[in-house]
Amino acid sequence: MRHQVRVNVVSALTFLVFFVVFVVPFALVINNAVKDRQESAKLDLSMPTSFHLLENLQEVFAARDYMLVTAMINSTILTVTSVAAMVVVAAMVGFVLQRRSSRVNGLVNAMVLMGLIVPPAVVPTIWVLQSLGLFKTLPGLILIEITYGLAFCVLLFRAFVSTVPRELDEAAIIDGCGPLRLFFQVILPLLKPTVVTVIVVQSVAVFNDFVHPLYFLPGDENATVQLTLYNFLSQYSTQWNLLFMDILLITIPPLLVFLFFNRQIVAGMTSGAVKG
Amino acid sequence: MFMNRRSFLGASAAAASVIAITGCSRGGGGGGGVTFLIDNDPSAVAGAEALTEAFNSSQEEYTFSVDTRPGGTEGDNLVKTRLSTQDMPDVFVYNSGSLFQAIRPTQNLTDLSDQPWVSRLQESFVPAVSAEDKVYGAPYGGASAGGIMYHRPTYEKLGLEIPRTWDDFIANCQAAHAEGVTGIIQSFGDTWTSQLLVLGDFHNVAANNPDFAEQYTAHQIGFATDPNALRGFEHTAEVCSSDFINEDYVSATYQQAIGYVAAGEGAHYPILSSAVAEIAASTPDLVEDLGFFAIPGEDAAKNGLTIWLPSGMYVPAFAENPDAALAFIEFVTSQEGLDILAAEAPPTGPYMVTDVDLPAEVPTATKDLQVYFDTEGATTPALEFLSPIKGPNLENILIELGTGSIDAKTAAQNYDKDVEKQAQQLGLEGW
Repeated sequence: MRHQVRVNVVSALTFLVFFVVFVVPFALVINNAVKDRQESAKLDLSMPTSFHLLENLQEVFAARDYMLVTAMINSTILTVTSVAAMVVVAAMVGFVLQRRSSRVNGLVNAMVLMGLIVPPAVVPTIWVLQSLGLFKTLPGLILIEITYGLAFCVLLFRAFVSTVPRELDEAAIIDGCGPLRLFFQVILPLLKPTVVTVIVVQSVAVFNDFVHPLYFLPGDENATVQLTLYNFLSQYSTQWNLLFMDILLITIPPLLVFLFFNRQIVAGMTSGAVKG
Repeated sequence: MFMNRRSFLGASAAAASVIAITGCSRGGGGGGGVTFLIDNDPSAVAGAEALTEAFNSSQEEYTFSVDTRPGGTEGDNLVKTRLSTQDMPDVFVYNSGSLFQAIRPTQNLTDLSDQPWVSRLQESFVPAVSAEDKVYGAPYGGASAGGIMYHRPTYEKLGLEIPRTWDDFIANCQAAHAEGVTGIIQSFGDTWTSQLLVLGDFHNVAANNPDFAEQYTAHQIGFATDPNALRGFEHTAEVCSSDFINEDYVSATYQQAIGYVAAGEGAHYPILSSAVAEIAASTPDLVEDLGFFAIPGEDAAKNGLTIWLPSGMYVPAFAENPDAALAFIEFVTSQEGLDILAAEAPPTGPYMVTDVDLPAEVPTATKDLQVYFDTEGATTPALEFLSPIKGPNLENILIELGTGSIDAKTAAQNYDKDVEKQAQQLGLEGW
């Protein structure tokens, strides 16, 4: 009897924490996104007295010559391309590092660690990009995102490749498999749990990245979604209703992705075992 | 070991998509396109768009477009980064005064001393955009002021008069408090607002010692050692420990605070006059309830207003289209240009060009400022425009003071220590 009560208290507490941490902020965003400017300036949870959903929506989209549309396209290209490249490159590096021990391994490991430790410097990076003709271009920013994310991904993949039995490689090679086919058709499918983890972690990081697009991709035609927040938020004056509407709009795409791929993501993260 | 067909196809598809992306991101620029960079304040952006549109239709050669940047520390970093990577648009707007000195004008900017509008500038503005006796910037819009915004209906109802001395001001606060209206509003939730009682008091400091700024830059005098300068810190401590301050002064934000004064829940709020524009945008029907007066000092006869000079427009030294940039700046300093700007971004104070007057339909609180400008010797630019030294931690020190962690003397000493590092970085003599 007492045990039963304690369990109920714990689950009630969990629910309460969930409510406070996730639901309240989201309610604040939605609530303020439909208010007019005067009401939203109070920044409270009171119900709106008049609804301005469509006006706010239209104003947010139209701001700065439909910058949000450009930003959505840019952010999608940026996230998809850089995460795809991170997965393929990091998996390859992890595979080779783990399978083939040679003298350069120590050096490569040191470089990967340095990639995690050494802080990025903005101005020299811009000089490099300018000399390559990549500054202010989306490919330039994609390369930067790949660089900053790669070290972490390599660490994840290297650790996971060691759980894939070497016998599988040998069997495939005996059956006449070339190195590329071995990697793409035998090893990569077995790395699915790590691939899913990397995709989730890095796409959130890249999509939500604010600082790199701000410095490496200046200009209105190059905006990413996080930069559009600055259309409504400034040092002395903030249009809270439009800001919250913008937050709502740019939270929706990742939310949809997570809703649709929820099952694959959870399955990928939990199924670690090698099958067959 | 050759690639099988499927992986080869995959690889070439990946390569093709990279090429396609590269193709997409080109374009923009080209022709006579010139970019005008401004901070992202909504009214500033609207004003800049109106200006570029009018300028584009007035001539054929160049097409200006507007680009935005964040304000605050993020904006400072961005401006410095873009200048040092030679990626700055041909005309940009940035603070005048100490922040202007920090972007190394002699190295990074084009000398504008020979421009025709230089002779029309207000005398007080010229030093704020000059380095080594050369002018590098033109004023963008009107000045603003630091002082006390007050609720006029409360003043009328209680029969109060605009205070000229600090004691009268405290008496007015108490009178409002007795009627159930909060005497003074503070908003430490937005840390920068804590500085007004110190920075906005500078006219009263300079009225007693006209050489304060020079002596301060030369390290001969400090906030802790000059009794007049210390008064700003003492005022902050006094109002924060009083019973007539708003209860949530530690956490209230700027937005909430201006809401309190506009609605008459609070009688006074020490703030920049740009708050009037914010109220005009968020609650337009309440803006006529507000008035503005200078922070009162010890001596009623010497009372006057501390003003914040407008931002400057600058041209980088490596500008691609310097002629277009100069023509645009001349347009923005003309009567026509300033009228266009005023229609979109209501001026927060008088212009820095001597032959252009404020438009007739500005809010009462903005007109209150003009009175000080029209009186000889009743305005002084804030210290940050007269001396390159402004410590980064003043707001934090004042919040420590306001919440009662330290006393006024210690706070002033801490601030004097805070500016030391900056003065040494700038390589000033005597530090």
